[in-house]
Amino acid sequence: MSGGPLIVQSDKTLLLEVDHPDAVACRMAIAPFAELERSPEHVHTYRLTPLGLWNARAAGHDAEGVVDALLRFSRYPVPHALLIDVAETMDRYGRLQLVNHPTHGLVLQAMDRAVLIEVARSKRLAGMLGTKIDDDTVAVHPSERGRLKQALLKLGWPAEDLAGYVDGEAHPIELAVSGRDDHPAWTLRPYQREAVEHFWAGGSGVVVLPCGAGKTLVGAAAMAQAEATTLILVTNTVAGRQWKRELLARTSLTEEEIGEYSGERKEIRPVTIATYQVLTTRRGGVFTHLDLFGARDWGLVIYDEVHLLPAPIFRFTADLQARRRLGLTATLVREDGREGDVFSLIGPKRYDAPWRDIEAQGWIAPANCTEVRVTLTDAERMTYAMAEPEERYRLAATARTKLPVVKALVERHDGDQVLVIGAYLEQLRQLGEFLNAPIVQGSTTNRERERLFAAFRSGEVPTLVISRVGNFSIDLPEAAVAIQVSGTFGSRQEEAQRLGRVLRPKADGRQAHFYTIVSRDTIDTEYAAHRQRFLAEQGYAYTIVDADDVLGPPLPSVD
Amino acid sequence: MTVTIADHLRALPDDALGALLRLRPDLVVPVPADLSALALRAQSRVSVARALDGLDQFTLQILDAVRLIRNPDGQTSTAAVLTITAAPAQQVASVRAALDRLRALFLVYGPDDALQVAAGVDEVSSPYPAGLGRPAAELDAAAAEVCTDPVRLRRTLLAAAPAARAILDRLAAGPPVGTLTAAAPPPQGADPAAAESPVRWLITHGLLVPITDVPAPAKAAAGAVELPREVGLLLRRDHGPLGPLHPEPPAAAARAREPKAADSAGAGQAMEAVRQTEALVRALADEPAQVLRSGGVGVRDLRRVARAAGLDERTAALLLEVAYAAGLIGELDVTGAVTARGGPEQQFLPTDRYDMWRATSLAQRWEQLARAWLAMPRRAGLVGERDERDRPIAALSAGVDRVMVPVARQAVFDVLADLEPGAAPTVDEVLALLAWRAPRRSAGREALYREVLGEATLLGMTGLGALTSYGRLLLASTDGATVPEDPLGRRSAEAEEEKIEAMRALDALLPAPVDHFLIQADLTVVVPGPPESALAAELEIIAEPESAGGASVHRVTTASVRRALDVGYSADDLHELFRRRSRTPVPQTLAYLVDDVARRHGGLRVGPAGAYLRSDDEALLTELLADRQLADLSLRRIAPTVLLAPLQVGRLLALLREAGYAPVPEDASGATLLTRPKSRRAPARPSVTSRITDPLAAPKLSGPRLLGIVDQIRRGDAAARAARRAPAPLRRGDARHGRGPVAAQSHSEALAVLQQALRDKTSVWVGYVDAHGATMSRLVRPVSIGGGYLRAEDERTETLHTFALHRITAALAEE
Repeated sequence: MSGGPLIVQSDKTLLLEVDHPDAVACRMAIAPFAELERSPEHVHTYRLTPLGLWNARAAGHDAEGVVDALLRFSRYPVPHALLIDVAETMDRYGRLQLVNHPTHGLVLQAMDRAVLIEVARSKRLAGMLGTKIDDDTVAVHPSERGRLKQALLKLGWPAEDLAGYVDGEAHPIELAVSGRDDHPAWTLRPYQREAVEHFWAGGSGVVVLPCGAGKTLVGAAAMAQAEATTLILVTNTVAGRQWKRELLARTSLTEEEIGEYSGERKEIRPVTIATYQVLTTRRGGVFTHLDLFGARDWGLVIYDEVHLLPAPIFRFTADLQARRRLGLTATLVREDGREGDVFSLIGPKRYDAPWRDIEAQGWIAPANCTEVRVTLTDAERMTYAMAEPEERYRLAATARTKLPVVKALVERHDGDQVLVIGAYLEQLRQLGEFLNAPIVQGSTTNRERERLFAAFRSGEVPTLVISRVGNFSIDLPEAAVAIQVSGTFGSRQEEAQRLGRVLRPKADGRQAHFYTIVSRDTIDTEYAAHRQRFLAEQGYAYTIVDADDVLGPPLPSVD
Repeated sequence: MTVTIADHLRALPDDALGALLRLRPDLVVPVPADLSALALRAQSRVSVARALDGLDQFTLQILDAVRLIRNPDGQTSTAAVLTITAAPAQQVASVRAALDRLRALFLVYGPDDALQVAAGVDEVSSPYPAGLGRPAAELDAAAAEVCTDPVRLRRTLLAAAPAARAILDRLAAGPPVGTLTAAAPPPQGADPAAAESPVRWLITHGLLVPITDVPAPAKAAAGAVELPREVGLLLRRDHGPLGPLHPEPPAAAARAREPKAADSAGAGQAMEAVRQTEALVRALADEPAQVLRSGGVGVRDLRRVARAAGLDERTAALLLEVAYAAGLIGELDVTGAVTARGGPEQQFLPTDRYDMWRATSLAQRWEQLARAWLAMPRRAGLVGERDERDRPIAALSAGVDRVMVPVARQAVFDVLADLEPGAAPTVDEVLALLAWRAPRRSAGREALYREVLGEATLLGMTGLGALTSYGRLLLASTDGATVPEDPLGRRSAEAEEEKIEAMRALDALLPAPVDHFLIQADLTVVVPGPPESALAAELEIIAEPESAGGASVHRVTTASVRRALDVGYSADDLHELFRRRSRTPVPQTLAYLVDDVARRHGGLRVGPAGAYLRSDDEALLTELLADRQLADLSLRRIAPTVLLAPLQVGRLLALLREAGYAPVPEDASGATLLTRPKSRRAPARPSVTSRITDPLAAPKLSGPRLLGIVDQIRRGDAAARAARRAPAPLRRGDARHGRGPVAAQSHSEALAVLQQALRDKTSVWVGYVDAHGATMSRLVRPVSIGGGYLRAEDERTETLHTFALHRITAALAEE
């Protein structure tokens, strides 16, 4: 018994005891092939998945190394069957390769003839393979490159794509590190630089960075590396605008070089930012904006928030296999389980940095999460008890009892910039009145919004009430405290986004506070628990307090 | 005259005779009457076959040599054997040793210069010693002629075409007999003009001889050929007459594993096997499997428990067999239930022993399983295959019984145990070694040996392909158990010692049980090792399992906390338990969860009551409670205005009234029930007054009554007619009445008839097919048609029927 920090479970999860002296070394050793699933305070859970193992293979790790790492750090004997399974799974990657043949163009080449025979017989591949060139080589039509990779992954024989990329239309892009306009000089953070290097070396793939860790800059740096026309796909217009703002501030690109392709505007420029929504709009069953992909000879395609990539985009991506593709995300976990498509169509994971690590390096602020449970008044309880099921969450979430608690919290953090986030406009209106604070919601005009943000930034407005628009990547600087009064049911994504609001590093290194106000004994509590699970698994421990503790005499400092 | 084997036996000293009996113990069952009988038995087919089965390949080759070169008298000499084996100096010793072995077994006997082969040997061995054919002289005159002249023979041989030469080489390697189809491959690219096939050429030139007296193995007797011995010997001139000799077992190029690594991998697997078995048996405990009529567990049950334990079916079948062999599972009669066959229905359930087994340490649990596996005469690999009657073989059924399996396991482990610790031979290497050690026994057992090796890996007897150190110790201890001569039990005591040693070795590799866990903010509880039994019992209640293996992960949920509260933990107990067991500070969220659930726990109360008493007058209820007369009622106040009593309503009412109160009963909806006391009465009987009337006088009937009777009679008549006439026209295939068209009436016609009847409010005969497929007919009056249904009234029974329209086969207006 080696007494190592790692425990290998039979369901292929790996438990890493964080407090063990070898934990850091062990994490370094297993991170390339195991997916970090949960990272609470004492024991982190990693999972061995075929995709993770193939990701490792794609990054140049071999089965021997993986098995060795498991054996070296494992506290207990590792079941033989599991080791065999790991070795066999890893061995499947790269038996088939997509390469450019000097005379036949794109071909599928087999390192193992039996595998080629096996997959060629499969019905899934019907029509994807062309003529047989020799026993180990089959021609592939370039348009089938993506679909073939997708199908091969499903068959369990992921192909290694060595066919290379087209350079695309050249377009000079540089990082404006010396500062531009009113922005100060800056440099890429070490992990951002590493991420770009890994991505570039691999050709295509996904970079995983937590919220607030500067994924946009990784994208910008990749563009500067490619020096080619770029198509950026983002979740929505607001995010698109933020990309544009960042690119203008951080690169040599000018306003005229960046186009926005959204519901409102249809500009195609050397760098074009398009939303998923407009691309997936259908008219009469036809995707009307598909031409965008062929509009220019793109040298790089960036997918923001890969975990939200809608299914039709996967289909278009299958046709884009000759272009470099960069996926950016905070988590590779997709609610629909299509991680395999991300792997085969966009590419293997090229870089990953756990949330807490980046926090430890000081790039994101440490946060203190608190759930405040309010007890509904008897009248509210009666209303709740008699409400229709679909009304219940709204009733519980918007209980008036929450108002004084919010006020008490705002008062406690007097002098800090406080965001109050909610989902129900009526409730926000009440809060606005109660706290005497301005409200930013969907219907707020852009100018008004900018004005309020500017005022909030300057500290003129200490408290801002915002609706769901705050979920998207608007750049709210230096909010030290976020108070969440209601959310979209149990969305874990939303919770993480909102926490991200306060995680931007504080100038003075203060602690960030994140409060969730929840009505006790209602469905609100259940949804809150569900939302928090994601953050708890990320290592953010919640404290639960009663509303009376908040309303009562001030506690001894929570910090 | 040759000396008989009996003479030899007689001449033996006692201890030599004893040695023979020790080597061939089957000779003394039963004890032979005299030495002649012993000699006879020693040469019997069965006994000789048994002796031969245990011999290695080299010894058998030497035996073949003896058989090959004996003179017509059946004798040969050691010198001759040494000559024919053409043994280089270093092999002479091994040849002699092999001969000695044969002589010790009395398969070969006689002095060095007159060796003889025991009579039974020829019967049970191949008729072609050393894979050589019979001498040409015995086969065919023409061939004999060729063979007697070595020069001519050699010349003919050299003249053979390559295809013919290939055939010769194949036959020369043995066996020397080939059927024609097998011996004559289709001429590849040969000139069709050279019509003569290679075999034909060989036969005409006397190098092959067609034979008819083919021994059993070559069945296509019609076209068999044999290679004469002389030709074979000539072809074998490179290797010597016996062909290549194998004095040494094939070298296993076994990869050397670090013994520690092998042990560790094996221990991991052992732990896994124990865990899987436990999961499997627990799945049986949760939902027992039915014992099939033919014995065993059905495919569906097997699949179910396998899924519950997260195993594939083959592994599940093996572990079920092992668990059964270890006595962890047993059959139980289901009381009351009787199968169709008449016997009691049985289920597979965990036994008491399972509970004891669970309480022991991991190593002990594994040891019990491994020992059961080694000894069980069951071949789990057969589960799911089909038996000779093409029925699937069920796990735990008699179809899996194979007596020889433990011996096969022993043979495999003998091979593994003889290798260096950490040596990991491939499966094929093990098979080659087994084949060398006992070729006669190994033939046909390859599949079984492969299974044994697979199972050994699965159970953790081997790790990374090498026998583990604890496995070695375990085998040593089981060896002891089979040694019969142990009058003082000394040997078994030693075995016990070795067994303990094996467990100790395994114990050292396995994680030590832990008595603590780590709690985290996401409410997971991680036990960093196998939990102690007390801890395991606690965890089973307070948390849901999430992941198992070397460690286990559990999650505390609202439901699990409530379960804990339900079984009697208080919130404080839970706090205390978490504090005591956790190595890490209990997260505030968990403490809050416990308190929160505890706060609501018991917020609703459920209890039994026979009746309730309610009154808006609280004082009255207080009075009732205080009333001594009513003390027996055990009234209980659950709210200011409600009392409960265990008595039933009627009795409570009576007692309260007796005590002078004025209660009123209510029904379940709260409405007052007012009942008048009902006096008891006997059943009515006619009064005598009616008897005065003249029995002969006609009863007087009033008008309405009369009409009623008439109507009743008419209806009865109509019904009777209907019953007589009834379904005739509507019955299928009833062509006697010439009413065929009705039976074949189309659906739309039937519908038209029904609609007409609906308008006219007349009755129709409806033929329809009921849910069981039976054809029926009914005389009904349609009430409505719609939604695919006909609603109609049956006048006879005055009930409303609903017919599905698609089921109506015919409709006929009543005449």
